[in-house]
Amino acid sequence: MDKKYCAYLCSGCGIGDALDMEALAEVVTGEMSMECKTSEYLCGAEGRALIEKDIADNGVNTVVIGACSPRVMQNEFNFGEDKITVRANLREQVVWSEVKPAEGAEPHAEAAAFLMESAGDYMRMACTRAKKTALPEPFKLETMSKKILVMGGGIAGMTAAKEAAAAGYEVTLVEKEAALGGKAAEWRKSFPTRSPWTDLEDSPVAALAAAVQQDARITVKTGTEVARIAGAPGAFRVSMKATGTETEWDAPAKVTTEDADKISKGEMENPNKGLKNYMSVDEAAELHGAVVLATGWLPADVSEYAHLGYGAIKNVVTNVEFEKMAKDGKVPAKVAFIQSPGGKEHDQDFPYCNSVTSMVALKQAQYVCQDNEDGNAFILYQHMRTPGSQELYYKSAQQTDGIFMTKASVTKVEENGGKLRVIAEDTLLGDNLALDVDMVVLAAGMVPVTKEEYSINLAYRQGPAFSDLSLFDGYADSHFICFPYETRRTGVYTCGGVRKAETIEETIDDATGAALKAIQCLESTDRGVSVHPRSGDATYPEFFMQRCTQCKRCTEECPFGALDDDEKGTPLPNNTRCRRCGTCMGACPERIIGFKDYNIDLIGSMIKSVEVPEDDDDRLRILIFVCENDAYPALDMAGMRRNGINHMIRFIPVRCLGSMNMAWIRDALSAGMDGAMLLGCTYGDDYQCHFVKGSEIANKRMENIGDTLSTLGLESERCAAVQVAITDYDKIPQIVNDFVDEIVEMGPNPFKGF
Amino acid sequence: MNVQPDLTFIKYLKGAGGDTLKKCYQCATCSVKCPLSSDEKPFPRKEMIWSSWGMKENLVADPDVFLCHQCGDCTTYCPRGAKPGDVLGAIRAYAYTLYGWPSGLAKLASSAKGLPVLIGIPAVVIFIFWLISGGMHIPDKEHFATHGYQQFFGVWEFKWYAKNIFFIVMFMVPSLGLAIFSLYMGLTRLWKQMSLNTGVNPAYRPSVTQFIGEFLWPSLVEIVKHTRFRECGTNSDRVTGHLPLMLAFIGLFIVTCWSLLKNDIIGLFLHSWHGPMVLWDPFKIMANVSAIALLFGVYVLWSNRAKSEGEGKTSRTFYDWFLLWEIAAVGITGLGSELLRWLGVPSLGYIVYFMHLVAVMMLFLYLPYTKLAHIAYRTTAMAFEKYRESAFMKPAVE
Repeated sequence: MDKKYCAYLCSGCGIGDALDMEALAEVVTGEMSMECKTSEYLCGAEGRALIEKDIADNGVNTVVIGACSPRVMQNEFNFGEDKITVRANLREQVVWSEVKPAEGAEPHAEAAAFLMESAGDYMRMACTRAKKTALPEPFKLETMSKKILVMGGGIAGMTAAKEAAAAGYEVTLVEKEAALGGKAAEWRKSFPTRSPWTDLEDSPVAALAAAVQQDARITVKTGTEVARIAGAPGAFRVSMKATGTETEWDAPAKVTTEDADKISKGEMENPNKGLKNYMSVDEAAELHGAVVLATGWLPADVSEYAHLGYGAIKNVVTNVEFEKMAKDGKVPAKVAFIQSPGGKEHDQDFPYCNSVTSMVALKQAQYVCQDNEDGNAFILYQHMRTPGSQELYYKSAQQTDGIFMTKASVTKVEENGGKLRVIAEDTLLGDNLALDVDMVVLAAGMVPVTKEEYSINLAYRQGPAFSDLSLFDGYADSHFICFPYETRRTGVYTCGGVRKAETIEETIDDATGAALKAIQCLESTDRGVSVHPRSGDATYPEFFMQRCTQCKRCTEECPFGALDDDEKGTPLPNNTRCRRCGTCMGACPERIIGFKDYNIDLIGSMIKSVEVPEDDDDRLRILIFVCENDAYPALDMAGMRRNGINHMIRFIPVRCLGSMNMAWIRDALSAGMDGAMLLGCTYGDDYQCHFVKGSEIANKRMENIGDTLSTLGLESERCAAVQVAITDYDKIPQIVNDFVDEIVEMGPNPFKGF
Repeated sequence: MNVQPDLTFIKYLKGAGGDTLKKCYQCATCSVKCPLSSDEKPFPRKEMIWSSWGMKENLVADPDVFLCHQCGDCTTYCPRGAKPGDVLGAIRAYAYTLYGWPSGLAKLASSAKGLPVLIGIPAVVIFIFWLISGGMHIPDKEHFATHGYQQFFGVWEFKWYAKNIFFIVMFMVPSLGLAIFSLYMGLTRLWKQMSLNTGVNPAYRPSVTQFIGEFLWPSLVEIVKHTRFRECGTNSDRVTGHLPLMLAFIGLFIVTCWSLLKNDIIGLFLHSWHGPMVLWDPFKIMANVSAIALLFGVYVLWSNRAKSEGEGKTSRTFYDWFLLWEIAAVGITGLGSELLRWLGVPSLGYIVYFMHLVAVMMLFLYLPYTKLAHIAYRTTAMAFEKYRESAFMKPAVE
């Protein structure tokens, strides 16, 4: 594409009052040799008409906008897919972020000059970006399947299959048992789903199974397991097998580079003996576009709580076992339901418990009273969770004569003359309790299958399971709050018990959502754009393989396992698995990975375009790389609130801190800048990174660069990485200004001018 | 504490006005409102969970249950509509039946099903006595004007003990006697249970004088003054009904005693003293004022209850209404008899007087088993409360 540039400056929203627009335009026309026009109201009809006229009449196809934040007015400044638009954030990051003098104090004599320098640099960077960026070309798969694989034939899987089919998609539903139904088929009754929310209902399993079996778009495969899933979204190669059998196409376990060494030296047995290599192609595999994982949950093991006697005392059972008893026949007349195992130690419920186990206890207590005229059901809890309309069910259970509830610390369950005695303290009755009962039911939680098994059985370089499961108690989600369906593998969407302990009603909603996510994946993949979270992004990482040294950093660090490799270790990208975070680009020591509109050279050139004055302590330059997802909007919000940010700072947005290549820090420091900071998301088990591991990886890289700086005789404190949240907009100015103060204290970069 | 929930007890409470008891979720709003509640013993919160757990042993020996004036604040402020006030009423009803002796009669007096028998017993007894007495006649107007109802059971020659008094004593005194004996039995059991639950050391016991002087008398003073009743928020206007009613009963008691003294003791010697009192006699005035106060009090309580039930604030129970009906019957038939005497309608007068005797006998006979038992139970609980807080409950010198 032959680029024809034009820059446009907006003097609205106070920009024109604070800046000398003519001088700013001269920076663009002079230094950047780019035509530049100014409007008072660029996002208005008049301003847009000005640009559109240039596009139509003069063939302008690369537009630089010097106005507000790129996060606002996106439609106003969208001139079509075949045009490039680059935005310079003069409003939020320059004019609105000017540091105001303290009350009564005179403004700095050079305040206006400082502001112009900032604005000039942002225009320089935007123009440089415009010159370096290229139009993306969507990545298209050669063969694309729009069929959805649903793993698990319980309520979740059947609903997902039904909903996907109803939306017009072909579905394969795989269930390892001989019949559809899953766990819910074993329940005697299910929770109320309609007003007055007091009556237990028959399970919807049978009706759902019938509907699924009759659906022409759904292929049901019972007694079947998925041996492995190779390939990528749009073209997953799914190998299936009969339940319980072993085949050469079973998913191979992860073999690290160290393991591989040991195996080759004969020090370790190959765990994948007899299995096909993960890159082998199974000709018999069926092609699918996306996967809904609905493999459910497992009852948690409760035998660790010795004082409750599970496994040691007869008639101490779990809620799942009790439900089976209730389904098969009559339940005993006197039953204690224990919700929290902590005794006097703590008030936590059993692990993996939530509102579902509270509801189950209420339901099973009802069984006791229904089956026995003189039934007594005691519910001993620390928390009773009945959200939403389920509260009405709680109330109805509470009003049943034979149901007795109290908050209590259960300290012991013991045998007592053929019966069981439950001892509880700290009760609402103001006294310790001794209850003589026939049976004790423990509220075992619902453990996601992914905690115990691979479940998804991927043939990926990073192994058959989801990554970093230990961080999330075995759950596979990308981020439970922000991206509930997204797992850490693109194209795989969880629902039902594997995603969260939930009721049948919740599961049905959940599975519908997962089906829609799978469809979104298919359609995005078909259009060659990213699914999530950069939905619609048509760029993808491109590798200049000739210079690859097979260091495997990209394949190891990709948070989504997008990169496979060949025997030599050369990365084999799977663009449809990719979420376009650029972590591979940040990792690559050879700097051979880049996107059309985001690469090492582009950002490096932007850095170099910043003017670095010499020998002026009031004009140090501190570069801050800002995560686009949370930190950048937080900065915009700080600007909107007119929280002053030091004039010596220049911000550069990055897709994710994971994409931070340390070459940029070197670029900045060698250009004479005085400090650099990374502003990204919280990581660890409370992480907020949109790409799960990006900020964590960047932090590790920064630790290393600190050492490099020291060897050069530079203070390692000149570089910092800070974790912030989107809600920290009121704290960020303080954080960055304090950093500037530290740099000022250290003095200018000694290499300035070299 | 080994708990064996009593489902029958829960069902009883639900049937006796406490149908909402299981709604309680132990938020303790009631305890915050209730003047009886203490930090150590949140009342009626603990009673609510005991009820919903069917723990009747704790409840029937809980002085707080009897101290409650059913002021209704707990019920008004209860965020879940559990109506603790009504539940406590039901518990008291249960306790009166439980402590009542003989238990058959106590059970009979606890539900509307027993109503025909409850009215039947005194009606038949009095009618039989009337037959036996041979009075059995409706007097003429002149005779009626002179003697009123004083010869309802006829007259005989033996001048030292009037035939009429003989017969009235024949059924009223045993009725009252039975009631007093029954109350004695019940209160002794209650006291024992309360002491047991409170952990009183049986070695320290107050003397009778101490008991009366330090515990009983101050309680009686408090009752007459309606001190606690006045602390009630929601149902504070019940004082307007209850106070005249109580004073009316005291007044009528005094008048009855005077009448007995005047007619049948002094009247034996001074014949002119024997006969109905004239209208301006101070005792007659007292009697009439009391009768009106009684009817007024019943009217206030009746309409309060009806209103509150209409608004769904209280549940309709036999336990509550039976007492109102009884007192209203006593008042109406009493005043009715007097009016008919003035009007000189002997036949109707005799019938209404007969009904009056039946109503009064019912009041006496069923006193220990119906809501009227609160006279004795609440007084006892108040005395116990004072006892509980006295030096007798303090530990011995360490």
